[in-house]
Amino acid sequence: MSGWRKYVWAAIIVAVMAHFAFIHAAPRFMMGVALSRLSAATGYNAWTFADRVTPLSRSIVRPSPDFAYSACAYDLRDGPLTITATPWNAYWSLSLYAANSDNYFVVDDREARGGAEITLVRRGRAPPEGAAQIVESPTQRGVALIRRLAPDLDSYNAASHVARDDVCAAFTAN
Amino acid sequence: MLRRVLAWAAAIVAGVVLGGASAWAALEIGRSSFFEQYGAWSHSRATGSSAAGPYTRAIIARDGLLALSAREALYFNLTRDDQGEALDENCTYELVGRAFDARWWSVTLYAEDSFLAQNEDYAASIDSSHVSPGADGRWRARVATVRGDANYWLSSRNARRDFSLTLRVYNPQRDFRADEITLPTLTRISCLGES
Repeated sequence: MSGWRKYVWAAIIVAVMAHFAFIHAAPRFMMGVALSRLSAATGYNAWTFADRVTPLSRSIVRPSPDFAYSACAYDLRDGPLTITATPWNAYWSLSLYAANSDNYFVVDDREARGGAEITLVRRGRAPPEGAAQIVESPTQRGVALIRRLAPDLDSYNAASHVARDDVCAAFTAN
Repeated sequence: MLRRVLAWAAAIVAGVVLGGASAWAALEIGRSSFFEQYGAWSHSRATGSSAAGPYTRAIIARDGLLALSAREALYFNLTRDDQGEALDENCTYELVGRAFDARWWSVTLYAEDSFLAQNEDYAASIDSSHVSPGADGRWRARVATVRGDANYWLSSRNARRDFSLTLRVYNPQRDFRADEITLPTLTRISCLGES
């Protein structure tokens, strides 16, 4: 191959590779940004209770002022985690998101009136002895998110007290 | 020699730009296939759904990163009034709705930048726990810069032009059907400068 054709072919091949790389990387990049923001204050494997959503909240677009959010950026590098969600007197849910943005687990107060307790393990790894409900994470890192319905300041303050009992920490056998 | 190096570099840069642009275009075209229209309200099936492939996953991440699953909540957006005009803080609107087959719902007003409008009115959202329907079974809320005599109010102060409303329906029941009758209607009452 000679002349300008080889450059055109090179551009086409790079374009195809770049196309699929962008598609593959986009959700991982967005989750990476979310993970770094959520872990900035407390690091991994710890709950962060978010400030009440106000006009000054600028970290996530279209924030819902109806909820009190607790977020835990998790990392399973050192083994399984225990994640608990303390029950709340209105709607609440615990959602788990993988590093590629997949929402792979959700439980709400209709299914877990007394709160939720799960043992989070990396997919393919053996669960520890004595583990509670086992949930497999498809990726080493991800996000756990608790939403508690708290549309006014009083309920938000009450949710902040309840959230102190939530756990996102290394699994320890009882 | 230098010409060859520059030519290869130009080919690679052109390829990356072309690949990025085609990926962006693919997501734009793909996300439109997820949209459903119910009167003036639009609903993206991508928000809160599970990924079935890399394109779907990218669209979901772009439209609803960390969103609740569709089983937990449904999201509807409204950007136009009953006359098809963009929403504007210089106008006063009435939002009228009825109870949903759902556990809870809320309507939130967002400025054009998709964040809450920059005001201190504490009236960015109304929800089913604070809104009661009238004798005709419908609730009414005013969307305006001032509350006036309205029972329920969504403040559009400092929302400028092109603001939007998001309806969230939590734990929708099996009977819940989104259509023009069940979703609220937004009617433009008046605008500043109109005679």
